[in-house]
Amino acid sequence: MDIGRPQRIIEIEPVSLPLPSPDLPSYEPATEPAPDPNPVEPVDP
Amino acid sequence: MTTASALRPLEATTGIEPIVAWRTWALTGHRDGTNLLLRPVAGRSRPWRPMQVAEAGCKHTRMHSSPSVDCTCGLHGTHGLDLLRRTRCPAVLGRVALWGRVIEHDHGYRAQFAYPQLIALICQFCFWQWGSHAPSPDIVGWFPRDALVPLCWGHLELAQRYGMEPRRLLPADEVGLALREAYAVDQLIHW
Repeated sequence: MDIGRPQRIIEIEPVSLPLPSPDLPSYEPATEPAPDPNPVEPVDP
Repeated sequence: MTTASALRPLEATTGIEPIVAWRTWALTGHRDGTNLLLRPVAGRSRPWRPMQVAEAGCKHTRMHSSPSVDCTCGLHGTHGLDLLRRTRCPAVLGRVALWGRVIEHDHGYRAQFAYPQLIALICQFCFWQWGSHAPSPDIVGWFPRDALVPLCWGHLELAQRYGMEPRRLLPADEVGLALREAYAVDQLIHW
């Protein structure tokens, strides 16, 4: 296959490699319950 | 090509984004469709292994790093599809990322590092005839030395008529999916 004459040289150092990353560990949600968005106000006796 | 660098110095630039080019590969695998490997269409060069960066080497001489301006070594990619229609026995067409030292030519590139980005099985006869308008292959023929050849039904019949008889037929959809999964890349759809 003839791709013609060389025209220029490019030195490419990619910020991230164009290679698939290995499988990441599955996401595990935090076990601590989320705070109540509407806490009940304490009632004075 | 060998005298170009002697006539005038080549422009040299830098970049941080890989170049994406067109490329074809040959395909090998076991008779059950496992151990699929993309291979260069020319010669008996090393396969491109799944999940590993392909790195160029020069089979002519080990005295220079690849790609060298005064050689033809390196991992090839092209600007367009038409040039690839002349390649010998292509089985897979795709887009390939090229980086490291890349030499840009009139019609393509030679690179130090590469990895496929999008791939599709092609019937080599349809690709030679119709290029980007080629239909998808229907089956993949398994041949001695683990060569896998995707074909449409029409060209399978033609191949058989001329003595090119596959030892086994595999569904092209299944082989294509297994290949994409092995290399963790997406299907090339529009080309």
